[in-house]
Amino acid sequence: MKHYLLATLILFTAFRGFSQAIISGTIKNQKGQPIKQANIILKNTYDGATSDSTGKFLFSTEEKGAFILLYSATGYQDDSVKLQLDGKAVNLSVLMRKKVNELDAVTITAGTFETGDKKRGTILSSLDVATTAGSNADIISALQTLPGAQTSFTESGLFVRGGSAAETKTFFDGMLIKNPFNTQVPDQASRGRFSPFLFKGTSFSAGGYSALYGQALSSALLLESKDLPEKTTTGLSLLSVGAGVDQNIRFKNSALTTGGFYYNLKPAFSVIKQDRDWDKEPEQYGATLQYKLKTSDTGMFKWYSDFSRTSLGLNVTDTENPQETDYFSNTNKNTYINTSYQDYLAKSWKIQAGLAFSNTSDDGLQKEDRYNRTDRVFQGRLVATHYLSSLSNIKFGAESFAFKRAEEMNQLSRQYKDQLTAAFSEAEIFITPNLATRVGLRSEYSSWLDEYNIAPRASVGYRTGSFSQVSLAYGKFYQNPEDDYLIMQPLDFEKADHYILNYQYSNSDYTFRAEAYYKDYSRLTRDFDGQLSNTGNGYARGAELFWRDRKSIRNADYWISYSFLDTRRIFGTYPSRAVPPFAAKHTLNVVYKQFFEKLNSQISSTYTFATGRTYVNPANPVYLGDKTGNFNNLSLNVSYLTHILKQFTVVYLSATNVPGFNNVYGYHYSRDGQFRQAIQPAAQRDFFIGLLMTIGDNTFVR
Amino acid sequence: MKLIQLNTIVLLLFVSFTSFAQSEKYQLAMGKGLQLLQSAKSPDEFAAAANHFERIARAENTQWMPSYYASYCNLIAGITGKKENMDPLLDKALDQIAKADSLSAGNSEIYTVRGYIEFMKMSIDPMNRMSFMKSAAASLDKAIALNPENPRPYLVKGQNIFYTPAAFGGGKEAAKPLLEKAATKFSTFKPDSSMAPNWGKERNNELLAQCK
Repeated sequence: MKHYLLATLILFTAFRGFSQAIISGTIKNQKGQPIKQANIILKNTYDGATSDSTGKFLFSTEEKGAFILLYSATGYQDDSVKLQLDGKAVNLSVLMRKKVNELDAVTITAGTFETGDKKRGTILSSLDVATTAGSNADIISALQTLPGAQTSFTESGLFVRGGSAAETKTFFDGMLIKNPFNTQVPDQASRGRFSPFLFKGTSFSAGGYSALYGQALSSALLLESKDLPEKTTTGLSLLSVGAGVDQNIRFKNSALTTGGFYYNLKPAFSVIKQDRDWDKEPEQYGATLQYKLKTSDTGMFKWYSDFSRTSLGLNVTDTENPQETDYFSNTNKNTYINTSYQDYLAKSWKIQAGLAFSNTSDDGLQKEDRYNRTDRVFQGRLVATHYLSSLSNIKFGAESFAFKRAEEMNQLSRQYKDQLTAAFSEAEIFITPNLATRVGLRSEYSSWLDEYNIAPRASVGYRTGSFSQVSLAYGKFYQNPEDDYLIMQPLDFEKADHYILNYQYSNSDYTFRAEAYYKDYSRLTRDFDGQLSNTGNGYARGAELFWRDRKSIRNADYWISYSFLDTRRIFGTYPSRAVPPFAAKHTLNVVYKQFFEKLNSQISSTYTFATGRTYVNPANPVYLGDKTGNFNNLSLNVSYLTHILKQFTVVYLSATNVPGFNNVYGYHYSRDGQFRQAIQPAAQRDFFIGLLMTIGDNTFVR
Repeated sequence: MKLIQLNTIVLLLFVSFTSFAQSEKYQLAMGKGLQLLQSAKSPDEFAAAANHFERIARAENTQWMPSYYASYCNLIAGITGKKENMDPLLDKALDQIAKADSLSAGNSEIYTVRGYIEFMKMSIDPMNRMSFMKSAAASLDKAIALNPENPRPYLVKGQNIFYTPAAFGGGKEAAKPLLEKAATKFSTFKPDSSMAPNWGKERNNELLAQCK
């Protein structure tokens, strides 16, 4: 009886397959190097093993039949093999392929500086922008420490690689910002309207930018707004020039942010003596309203709107009659609304849609003349992205702008309207993870010009090592002539061709970039002999270097950028080809930031050197033939991190031109050349004190 | 007849044993995993434990604990290992804790580990990863709200604050009350089962000792 019982058990267990099979093998990568800690998994069972430091693995299983053996290791693509298990030992030799993700693949860097908080290879974060000395948390000023951008103190805007300020366009979530700056005061640059804390990423293209954007001969500045704030918080800012408050209210899937500010420069100007005869010091107030809604796991709707009003008035020396002054006053009202929506439609399609509106009006007095100027833009934009693989994609899109400019001078008025429509497509194709190409085409039609253009763009990036790559870019770029010309008559598109070669070495500690470019300008607008025409032209060529090191000095971070620029052009009122004033031959920036743990403080300094700017001297037969001396500036910024009433607070103090260099940006001459007036900063040294406080969170959340 | 009867009984017993075995097998595998975790000292051993839990997690699509432990082991492997391996291990841990969350929504233990991972992600590059600071704090606050008696979110929160510079609201002083709170919670905490998360008491004592 016993025997029978045993026989039954043996039979049964044999049937169940209790005999164990040994599965062993070695895992290597394509270079033949062993892969350790790979997980070897017999699918749908618990059986498996982890490879050792020589890539070897071994395990036993009681399973029988057809199975799939999976291998997975960090940094490698998951792979599998089919196995027929019949109790016999199996020995495998496995080859795993490196996983390619966005971070490892080559990125085309020709012309472009990515800044932001998330992506690798970013050059500056929002906090970097905020803490760069001399920038006073102004995005544009911080970008002027990067190669390709000129230091500008007399005119608002970014002057990139020999291009005028009008050749750089700013985009907010893909939508054009027509007036990104505060009102321009004669001979003085004004700040950008937008706080760096609004954005999670910035891409500054000094040339060769994507076909998704247009209407900029030189440069595109792309600002990408932040997503939902994490918490409900209140932010307070107290500055030597005013105060602001903003309230974030976080709901489950949405957030509302409202804010307001008031700035008045009168008290600051009474302390820091200004070389300007102010009648009414700049006063500004404004409000913002933002709403963000997460419409699905991947969908996001954003509403941003702001309104601001600025007024000022001053007396400016009349160059023709040095004893006299001319009155200038301005009241600016600015409204900006930007809405955007994006989501994935199915897995491989993404859609981005936007609607934007802006209205800017200026009025005031220029000498005895009352002027009024209104700029209005409506924009609609739709972009669809189709993902061909994890890396490659193709984009299609269209956008249309309704521009209107109206001017009035002592009851005489004029205006023009333009409907500018563009269609574009761009394919980003990875031939291998180390070789990427981007080919785009953009076409625009302007109703006012009654002209269309076709702008091809192409770039290629090749990865030469784990951290290094070479990129090449070419493109044609068009833009409408400036409003001041177009309001007089329709003209033709202005045009530039860019050729860029870039080398970049970048890891988490160091970034090195070298870039060379050539730009060919044609059909620039000329205003000569009382005639407007598109007969202007010019060139710009140069080389730039950038080095950033976050590692070598403890708690320190510094970057050095150098730009060489050789440019000549004939445009505007120029009688002949000349070097424009906004093109210093050599520009050097050194930015150094050091954090002192014990003092809870960060000290940041920026040194800028630029060779002289050209200016018009009527006595010199060569137009723009004279040059100012070199420009030097050393700015310091101290940020002290503390808690006031248990709320996280930053107190900061910044000072520009600490050593007191005497900088002259140029001269205004009287027509007869008998009198000249130097263009200089309003104050030799400038100071700024601020306190930023976040209530509702003990960490820094802005 | 008797023999057949006996044979049938044996057979039935065996069959019922093997069908019951699925859950016992799970218990055994998890037990082995917990042993691996307990005895692990080197980052490689933590990674091997993580792999073990990952295998269970891949076969069991209804249990949250395999993914939870796989995530926790990868997190510890990341913290104790070479700096350059940290990011990919933490990313893996984040994916695994997301899977655990999808199987057991509103679980205080899961939010605790998530907050821990997010804080470590931030620590790799604090200047550029400020957003992880916020999400770590949010995850841990949620973990506390979901189960105020769970000592681990207090410990992790205290630990995060312990390693945050005083200028950013951190330091030993600021961490101490949280670690003390964790200590009292640890003294009364009883895990739901032998498998349920029960780590952190020793770590909490170590940190507290440094606060004194």
